[in-house]
Amino acid sequence: MEQRIRNDRPRARAGGLVVRELPEEVLVYDLERHRAICLNHTAALVWKHCDGETSVAEISRRLGAHLRLPVAEDVVWLALDQLARDHLLEGKIARPAAFSGISRRELMRRLGVAAAVALPLVTSVVAPTAAEAASCLPTGAACTAPAECCSGLCPGSPNGTCV
Amino acid sequence: MRETFLHSYGLLLSATLAGAWRHAPPPVELSEKELTTVAPLLTGSGAAALGWWKLRRTDRRASPSARQLQHAYRFNTLQAALREREIERVFALLSDARIDAVLVKGWAAARLYPEQGLRPFGDMDVCVRPAQFASASRLVGAERRVDLHAGFEKSDERGFDETFERTETVEIGASRVRVLCAEDHLRLLSLHLLRHGAWRPLWLCDVAAAFENRARNFDWTRLLAGDRRRASWVVCALGLAHALVGMRVEDTPVAHEALRLPRWLVPEVLKQWQTPFPARQAPMRHRAPMRKYLRHPSGVFKDLRNRWPNPIEATVLMNASFNELPRLPFQLANCFARTARFISAAGAQTKL
Repeated sequence: MEQRIRNDRPRARAGGLVVRELPEEVLVYDLERHRAICLNHTAALVWKHCDGETSVAEISRRLGAHLRLPVAEDVVWLALDQLARDHLLEGKIARPAAFSGISRRELMRRLGVAAAVALPLVTSVVAPTAAEAASCLPTGAACTAPAECCSGLCPGSPNGTCV
Repeated sequence: MRETFLHSYGLLLSATLAGAWRHAPPPVELSEKELTTVAPLLTGSGAAALGWWKLRRTDRRASPSARQLQHAYRFNTLQAALREREIERVFALLSDARIDAVLVKGWAAARLYPEQGLRPFGDMDVCVRPAQFASASRLVGAERRVDLHAGFEKSDERGFDETFERTETVEIGASRVRVLCAEDHLRLLSLHLLRHGAWRPLWLCDVAAAFENRARNFDWTRLLAGDRRRASWVVCALGLAHALVGMRVEDTPVAHEALRLPRWLVPEVLKQWQTPFPARQAPMRHRAPMRKYLRHPSGVFKDLRNRWPNPIEATVLMNASFNELPRLPFQLANCFARTARFISAAGAQTKL
């Protein structure tokens, strides 16, 4: 049965994630879905406060104190929507009717450019091409000398296969 | 200088990566065009995150090319976290089986950067006592990312025991792994760089990070001990790191020698950096395995260019000195030696 949590007291998912905190953002790897996710500073703060005890109103107050900006509950709900979409919250959350249907774009328009920089953002991290620094051939690759193989073994060289 | 940047990818990489391994790297001023040019070179050679590290406090940080580099930095950071878990697991297996294992390059090099996401590492290079290699292979040989080595760097003459005695254990996650002592690690990185022709700029940053992070009690004698030719190779690698990525060698015992590189060497590395991509390096750039040319000998001439060793590789493989003498004889000698090995092996196969 699908777990439902109290709408105004979200809880961050803790299991099956690898989390790395950077100075300006938080990176998360979902071990179940094999997805890499980046939370900007605001989204990370909201996520950090999702302990299942703190209400959305309280999260918004704490966020405001941290960012030194008045933060509307809409902003927290926007973050929760994104966190839920990426399976970073326990159970499902549903916005109360008063806060439903507000998109990031609408919030930006409403809050103005200055406050918009503090809007939460949860994005996917994509793999760069050829990012690894290996200098040798993997197992199964054709090789002409042992030095070419990562294992240092090239049976049958110079017409061998790395093992 | 700036006019030449776009004509030399090598110079562009050199300027971009100067000091990139430091906590507070020197600023880099790149035009949008230069950044667009250098970004794929950084990404393709595994130095994208270092590029981002240099750009992150500049006006260029918001440009699309810089964002690509930032993505690589994020990706590497998470990948490092995942790889660490694998390293812990593999070393726990080896430790349980009482196999003496030492982690080299990859993670061992990355740990010396300000953040591990700055230096990607794919494979796990694990050196084990040659006598335990078979046992280690049975235990972790099937692991996809484990590159098991019987002993240490092939270009070095030191025995396993002598090197193992000086290894140290360092923290990784919740456990510890064994790595080379600082002197042996720097020596291995330097020899590895030259043996592979110095084509990857990241390797020079590895050397620089290891060199500049040395402790006060760094043992210079240990670094340069043993065979004099190999010691001179190590100094040569340090000189390259100074010349190309701004590593600080001044006021060190190697400064005098490191500042006197053969004139052909820096231009040769810059030439390699024109295409710093794995696919452009031997053996990936070979058109076909040599055995194919036994039936179609004409093809070998077309492939000769791809199989021609670069002067740095040829110098190391022919156990020669890095001096002002022309490199052509070493390149030719290396080609002949490889051809002779191939013919001999092919002959043996035919007899069978």
